[in-house]
Amino acid sequence: MNVPEQLLYSSDHEWVLREEGSSRVKVGITDYAQDALGDVVFVQVPTTGNIVLRGETITEVESTKSVSDIYAPVTGTIVEVNDALSESPQLLNEDPYGDGWICILDVNEVADLDSLMAAADYSATVEG
Amino acid sequence: MPTAERSSLDDVHRALGAKMVPFGGWEMPLSYESGTVDEHLACRRDAVVFDVSHLGTVRIEGDNSFELLQQTLTNDLDKVGPGRAQYTHLLDADDGSVLDDIIVWWHPHTGGDDDVFDVMPNASNTDRVRQAIGGVETTHMRAVLAVQGPRAIARLSAIFPQASDVKRFRVVEATWHGVGCTVAGTGYTGEPGVEIAVPADAAAALWEAITSCGIKPAGLGARDTLRLEAALPLYGNELGPGITPLQAGLEWVVGWDKGAFRGRKALERERDVGVSRHLVGISTEGRRPPRSGSEVVVDGQLVGVVTSGNYSPVLEHGIALALVKPEVGMNTVVDVDVRGVTLSGRIVETPFV
Repeated sequence: MNVPEQLLYSSDHEWVLREEGSSRVKVGITDYAQDALGDVVFVQVPTTGNIVLRGETITEVESTKSVSDIYAPVTGTIVEVNDALSESPQLLNEDPYGDGWICILDVNEVADLDSLMAAADYSATVEG
Repeated sequence: MPTAERSSLDDVHRALGAKMVPFGGWEMPLSYESGTVDEHLACRRDAVVFDVSHLGTVRIEGDNSFELLQQTLTNDLDKVGPGRAQYTHLLDADDGSVLDDIIVWWHPHTGGDDDVFDVMPNASNTDRVRQAIGGVETTHMRAVLAVQGPRAIARLSAIFPQASDVKRFRVVEATWHGVGCTVAGTGYTGEPGVEIAVPADAAAALWEAITSCGIKPAGLGARDTLRLEAALPLYGNELGPGITPLQAGLEWVVGWDKGAFRGRKALERERDVGVSRHLVGISTEGRRPPRSGSEVVVDGQLVGVVTSGNYSPVLEHGIALALVKPEVGMNTVVDVDVRGVTLSGRIVETPFV
């Protein structure tokens, strides 16, 4: 299971990439999550401007198996979304840490990011 | 929970990296590493192999076996004969609900005229079917491999020519490297192909031979999306308690011209008054899949419910089977409510592809 070192992780299997000196973070789902979902066939692209609370649903994705919610890893405002997912939802499977990113959040409290896990801790939870 | 049953190919699937899931009391491959959509398209364009060992097999043989099946199951075995397979239903005697849908393999007569039937129910219904018809369960003695796709027969001919000669709905005894197999021209994908019952201890070698000639492994995920595109019913969705063969549009499974069979009276009553709902295909716009349980609405009025829905890998939009009021006919424009989101759809001809 691929768990990049430079990212932060939530217990709901989202990853967070900090931008240096900014309150904006990029959010996606982990390799573990995409594998568990199976083939993703539809992503409801989230709405720019929406405020999401940590642990709340940002959006939902549909695989050939079932529907699953994607949760906000931290509280913030959705400031950018990955529109490519509406035509190419399989990017979530093919490149979960790259072209399959979901949205950019402007984080309310940067200190919130401290509640997320480092790569090694997240790896331990999914390999448990 | 009792321990899940495992196919004789369990080790093979795990070595291939299959995602294993519980299904009808068994643990079976959902998909392999390339994923459900890829496996689905491989079946539509080329050839795949499924392990369907979880299907039950109940063997019925001997003097009264023909009459027993005629009186218990809906379809009329007089329409076929030894060496043929037939799709049929087991009904609830009181209300005509489908208790299981079944394929019967009628073995060819070899040397004598003794009838041997392999009755193949859904995995979870095997006990129920045995209660109704008796017989001996032989599920664990064999594996069943379904080889399906437009190139399935051509590819299979390289390693098992006898099996590749088996025509649609024929049943043949064949030998593969000294191993006796039963091969039927049946499947559940809408594509040509065969299903091979092979003794459990030879299953891994046959699987290896089949996959070595370019036939890709496929899992239950693809089996489900394939059967939905082909509009083939699934027990528990399109068939089950409260749903009769007439509602499911499967009157051809009912042998009206034969004598009494279980559930016949209930079906006759329904035939006389007309069905209260019928199964239709719905095509929806966009990639979001309709799902089982989604409500079907026409002009603001609830007219039915989706029994199976998914994304169609071939059509690249949503498709569904639904039980709707009988007056909802072909080309009707419908709304499908998927957890509060409305999909625009239309009643269309099936199969979808």
